[in-house]
Amino acid sequence: MNRDEIPPGTLYLLILKTVARTGKMHGYEIADSIQRTSDDVLQVEEGSLYPALQRMLIKGWVTAEWGTTAGNRRARYYQLTAAGRKQLATEISQFERVIGAITRVIQTA
Amino acid sequence: MSFFGELTRRLSMLFHRSQFDADLEEEMQLHLELRDQEQLQAGRTQADARSATRRRFGNPTRLKEKSHMTWGWQWFEDLLQDVSYGMRAMLRSPGITIVALLSLALGIGANTAIFSLMDAVMLRSLPVDQPEQLVLFGNGTDSGISDGFSNEDLFSYPFYREMQQKNQVFSGFAAVFSMNNRIHGFVEGRKEAEPMNIQLVSGTYFPMLGVHATIGRTITDEDDRMKDGNPVAVVSSSWWNRSMAHDASVLNKKLKIGSTIFTIVGVAPSEFFGTKVGDSPDIWIPLSMQKEVPPNFDGYSGNFSESLYLMGRLKPGTTMAQAATNVNLLFRQILLGFPDAPLSQENLEKLKKTRVVLSPMTTGLSSLRRKFSEPLKILMIVVALVLLIACANIANLLLARSTARTREFAVRQALGARRSRLIRQLLTESLVLALTGGALGVGFAAGASRLLLHMVSGGQTTVPLDVSLNIRLLLFTLAITCLTAVLFGMIPAFHATKFELTESLKDGRGQTSAGEKNRLAKALVIAQIAFSLVLLVGSGLFLRSLINLTNVDTGFNRENVLRLQTDASSIGYAYGDSRLLGLYQQIEDRASAVPGVSAASNSLFTYNEGSWNTRVSVHGYDADKNRNIKHNIVGNGYFAAMGIPLLAGRTFGPQDTATSQKVTVISDTMARTMFPAGSPIGHRYGVGDPEHANDLEVIGVVKDVKFGSLQEDQQTLDYYPVTQQIRYLNDFEVRYTGSLDAVLPAVRRAIHDVDPNLPISNVTTLDEQVGRSITNQRLVAQLSTFFGLLAVFLSCIGIYGLMSYVVTRRTNEIGIRMALGAERSHVRWLVMREILFLVALGVVIGVPAALAGNRLISNMLFGLLPADPVSLIAAVGALLLVAAIAGYLPARRASLVDPMVALRCE
Repeated sequence: MNRDEIPPGTLYLLILKTVARTGKMHGYEIADSIQRTSDDVLQVEEGSLYPALQRMLIKGWVTAEWGTTAGNRRARYYQLTAAGRKQLATEISQFERVIGAITRVIQTA
Repeated sequence: MSFFGELTRRLSMLFHRSQFDADLEEEMQLHLELRDQEQLQAGRTQADARSATRRRFGNPTRLKEKSHMTWGWQWFEDLLQDVSYGMRAMLRSPGITIVALLSLALGIGANTAIFSLMDAVMLRSLPVDQPEQLVLFGNGTDSGISDGFSNEDLFSYPFYREMQQKNQVFSGFAAVFSMNNRIHGFVEGRKEAEPMNIQLVSGTYFPMLGVHATIGRTITDEDDRMKDGNPVAVVSSSWWNRSMAHDASVLNKKLKIGSTIFTIVGVAPSEFFGTKVGDSPDIWIPLSMQKEVPPNFDGYSGNFSESLYLMGRLKPGTTMAQAATNVNLLFRQILLGFPDAPLSQENLEKLKKTRVVLSPMTTGLSSLRRKFSEPLKILMIVVALVLLIACANIANLLLARSTARTREFAVRQALGARRSRLIRQLLTESLVLALTGGALGVGFAAGASRLLLHMVSGGQTTVPLDVSLNIRLLLFTLAITCLTAVLFGMIPAFHATKFELTESLKDGRGQTSAGEKNRLAKALVIAQIAFSLVLLVGSGLFLRSLINLTNVDTGFNRENVLRLQTDASSIGYAYGDSRLLGLYQQIEDRASAVPGVSAASNSLFTYNEGSWNTRVSVHGYDADKNRNIKHNIVGNGYFAAMGIPLLAGRTFGPQDTATSQKVTVISDTMARTMFPAGSPIGHRYGVGDPEHANDLEVIGVVKDVKFGSLQEDQQTLDYYPVTQQIRYLNDFEVRYTGSLDAVLPAVRRAIHDVDPNLPISNVTTLDEQVGRSITNQRLVAQLSTFFGLLAVFLSCIGIYGLMSYVVTRRTNEIGIRMALGAERSHVRWLVMREILFLVALGVVIGVPAALAGNRLISNMLFGLLPADPVSLIAAVGALLLVAAIAGYLPARRASLVDPMVALRCE
């Protein structure tokens, strides 16, 4: 199975989008979800999720609170704030702009 | 908003760090376990699953650290760690810590205490509205009443009014009486007269300063419009507290001052102490009432009764130069415009030359400042030197300690700690030490500054200065504390972290760095000795000056004289009242009858109480016209009471009455310089212009006395009998034998037998009064001696510490020497030689430094040259002696080394 490192700077985007989709997730779910959604193509060093989440907590994009998992384990659930949703929109449009530009460059004969 | 949100979140993380770490740990643990489970379900073996999970997750420890550091508190946590490490280091070597803390506390405390006084006397701005806009006419050196033409320091009331109306440069303009009236008055409903310090001010004074009453109102220009018209008073907050116990119904309370009833109309704010630093009035009264306030000066309408300081607030945008031009133009105009201007050729010449200087008044007026600014600056230098010596000491102690830590640092550097990180740690440790010392120092300073204030005051009453802690003071202390930390911490810190790694790891006692370390430590000790010498020489000079001053021949006999002050003005005696004669005569008679009293007399002055001086014209002799003669008015027993020897003629007696020929006794210097050769007895002269030259007949010549200060030259002084010049004679002096404790109550009783209401104040002895006139010399001599000795003591600790260290390091060598047959005395000399060499080097550097420094203090010395050889030799000798003693102990220890033990010790 061929796995690719995620492009630099997109980790926040991936986390934000993933959390936004389901509303409320803990760390393992986020990592798992990114992998599954990308059909196992994108590989995140799973642990690096945590420093990134701290950064996002500081910025106020997400909030964290403790809850229980389906398997009745204590887990910390992350949730987007209004600022987080705004940030997600910014990151998406920024990403699309960059990707679009790169695509145009590649496809120009 | 988002910035504050972020800050709040970061701070909340800071306070819940351990919770944070636990949460993160748990979260990651869950992640790993869930992944493990998933792998197992996918059919892997236990071991396989675990390693796959690990691979996918990354290094948990590093990730935890990274998450933790994301919050940006690493610097703070390092600091906490360094601080706690520093504390532990301090506790580990309590001996070093106690010496370091004590010397720091003394050094920093002394600096803070002197600075607090300097701040109060010299630096602090007046607590009024925009004090930097205030200017004073002249420089405030003169005070009193003058009638000279074109005085540039003192001005008359009519001049003030003219200037106030005509000037174009001031937005506010005010006048204050140049002296305070220290009198006794009565508070409504009380029978006892109380001392009151009264300041006469113009009605514009409070408005110009922008000072508003806390209760009632301040004095206004309306109060100051009509002579004797508005008996109103504003009292100070501290007087209100002291005398009226903060009575809320203070307004409209009456004060009887002289024979006039004043109404209290307001209380000034508590921070306002007037415009003269160190002389806080109790009560402010409008200048229009000056004739009603004893001693009843009558200068309200006299064009040339010059007794006021003038001050103005510059209009915005006006420069000092513009103001000075305008003021000097008007100065001439106004003086020449007075109809009674004495326009003699001489006066016009004088006017042409006179220029009124404008002085900034940001920090207020102060005679204290003139008196103490130089001593305070010198003491500031002295305590700064002491602190430097203390720093050198601590640097040496830390240097010695860092030797012990060489291995620790080598290990840490080998493990990848950066040098800057280690230096930061060492400096933090120094800072912890310094801050602890600084905190102790502040505590020490709080007591010391009160003691200093007491020493400055020199008498029973303390000068009203605020020397309590304030922000500026704390900032100063913090600044010097950090500076000392850097000073004493820098050298050991850089030194401890500079080494050949492998060398230090191989062997705990890195021989290579030891030599250099010794050199550094020796340089520090040499510096200490040089500084100590400078301080010792300085204190020697001050001490010898003080001794010279106390040995000055005052002309009067200062022993066994009781001195007190009465105040007849406050109990209904008017200025020039002829009943005063009877009062004074009775007091003198009754006091003289007290057993043990040999003479008693009232007088206008005794010593160091200001002066009243005028020009005189000597009949038949062209005496120096510009020479002012000082006058004193005395009772018949004055010369006997003061012990001033009569040189020729007679002193005053009952034959000198109000109606008999006006007579005078003159000082020896006056007799020799202002009269033709031969005896001046029977010669005539007079006060003022030549038409008075026949008024007074000289009946006696007395020995010269010191009148204003011990340093002054011989004075031309004359004395008049009170019977022929009736004034308030507030000084009373009594010559006694036996014990003062027995005489004083009897004298008090004698005075109160004459009039039970007559207030008695300032009870002291003549000797003490003389002593008080050299307060600042004594202050400087005592403090510089104290700090000089402290410096020497600290240097001795330095020498002792260094030599102990050297001896320990050389135990081996000494053992070999002794095994080869060296005598114990020889070994002792070996060590002593090194000490004496260090001290000699310190002296060689210190002597030129001391000589250079002494030139700064030359005008504070009395009766000796700055290059006084006695002080210099004594200081060098003393320093050699104590250094030898400090060094002898380690030297002795070295000589007692057992060769066998020493040789085995390697």
